[in-house]
Amino acid sequence: MTEVPLHRPGPRAWTALLVCELKMVSRDTAGLIVPLGLPMIILLMSASQGGRVVGNGRTVLDVYVLPLVFTMVVAMTAVVNMPSFLAYYRRTGILRRLGVTPASPALVLVAQVVAGALQMAAGVGAAWLVALLAFDANAPARVGPALGVLALTVTAMYAVGMVVAALAPTPNSAIAIGLCAFFALGATGGMFGGRDSLPEPLAAIGDRLPFGAGSQALSAAWAGAPIEAGSLIGLSVTVVVGSVVSAAFFRWE
Amino acid sequence: MTPTTSSFAVEVDRLHKRYGPKVAVEEVSLSVATGEIFGILGRNGAGKTTTVELIAGLRKPDRGAVRVLGLDVRRDRARLRQVLGVQLQNATLPSALTVTELVRLFGSFYPDPLPPGELIESVGLTASGRTRFEKLSGGQQQRLSIALALVGRPRVVILDELTTGLDPEARRQMWATVERLRESGVTVLLVSHAMEEVERLCDRVALLDAGRVVALDSPSGLVRRAGFAQRVTFRTATPVPCGLLEGLGEVERIRADGDRVTVEGHGDLLQAVSVALVRAGVTVTETRSEQATLDDAFVALTGHRLDPEEERVR
Repeated sequence: MTEVPLHRPGPRAWTALLVCELKMVSRDTAGLIVPLGLPMIILLMSASQGGRVVGNGRTVLDVYVLPLVFTMVVAMTAVVNMPSFLAYYRRTGILRRLGVTPASPALVLVAQVVAGALQMAAGVGAAWLVALLAFDANAPARVGPALGVLALTVTAMYAVGMVVAALAPTPNSAIAIGLCAFFALGATGGMFGGRDSLPEPLAAIGDRLPFGAGSQALSAAWAGAPIEAGSLIGLSVTVVVGSVVSAAFFRWE
Repeated sequence: MTPTTSSFAVEVDRLHKRYGPKVAVEEVSLSVATGEIFGILGRNGAGKTTTVELIAGLRKPDRGAVRVLGLDVRRDRARLRQVLGVQLQNATLPSALTVTELVRLFGSFYPDPLPPGELIESVGLTASGRTRFEKLSGGQQQRLSIALALVGRPRVVILDELTTGLDPEARRQMWATVERLRESGVTVLLVSHAMEEVERLCDRVALLDAGRVVALDSPSGLVRRAGFAQRVTFRTATPVPCGLLEGLGEVERIRADGDRVTVEGHGDLLQAVSVALVRAGVTVTETRSEQATLDDAFVALTGHRLDPEEERVR
């Protein structure tokens, strides 16, 4: 009996899986409407009143609307879309089927995350382009920190999404739980208007949760103001807690 | 059981698995020779699928060990996955991807995959290459599933319910595919409750009942264990005189059901029975003679019928 040399799936497998993920996303057009379309509507609705300059040459659109829209795109993709895909994979036995091939579960997860990130990039890019061309948006006063905050927000939202994927027993419940999480984070994080209208304790919590923390930190970076440590701590804690919880409860079958 | 000295492709040693209070697999031991087509036959719930899931390393046994090509299926999973192709029962694939896309995707996981076009042709799906998984018929999905089990040029293949849900033409095509695997030296573990399939394809068969191997033999060896070789069924216009057939040397068992009589025995049973009836002046209206089948062996060994039709409806 000959020795079996160990061969781990290489770049060819990663690429093939990612291409397949993207094909699936693009063929499920309904799934694209929400992360791409919804933020666009918010942008169009708010942009007309967003021309007022709030300082540093930045307008309401720049400092409040765009951070909110970007955070929404990220949250929608990571908290609602990705968990529903993973739950569908698990429910239909696709993960089980991949489990008997040399493809590791990590391969699937990474392909999901990358495909999601590309969707986010498309959503953020489209919103930015419209804001730039139609509403004279300005670039963030501090581009580096803005990108850093965006990356941290993406990671935190993925951590939340993984918790949803870990806890949801079926694809439908993944969508339901994901939407609940999305709206809970959004409502306490200022998605439906100022946090001033919220009860004080709720607003304080919302400021630290990934939606509020992400959009505020992004807002600060855009305005050129210092980013609050509380926002960054909130996002970081979400990453850690989400990773630990999802690693403990996630099932491939 | 050192990996270098074994000539067996699959070695299962006293495997035991329970789910809660229910024992699914009990003391299952079997060895599959390299290049052999080995059948695992049994009714639903007999422990067939659990057995192959344990062999594929998908589940952890409570006791016992499995080696495939000398690899411990739990500890050497990464190597195992390269040499073991598995077709799972009712496995679904991403519905929006096409046949060719899926074959290419699964091929990308292996170092030296089969060319997609060739593989797709070998399972008769060339015309459906650009069809999405969700638009395929049940039989086509099944054939794709088998193609995906073969794409990495495995040395051992597990095929779980190979032809369930296929029409007769597709079934014959699948059988031809398995026979080609035999020619290329691939070891095949075939899980089935289709007698015809097992009789035709398998070199040896393990008969599973209530989680145990109740018999392990070649299909013809199992048939011999059915306890009889011939069966003659006939109807008569007038009752058969008492004691007429019991005295015949060829007869082993007689069963009467109204005017229908079934006689089991050996040798030239039909001839012996016919002559005796003619001599006694009994008019025979209908006669049927058959060889014992694996089906009969199954009944003889387990005490109940396999009844594939009933199983399939379930």
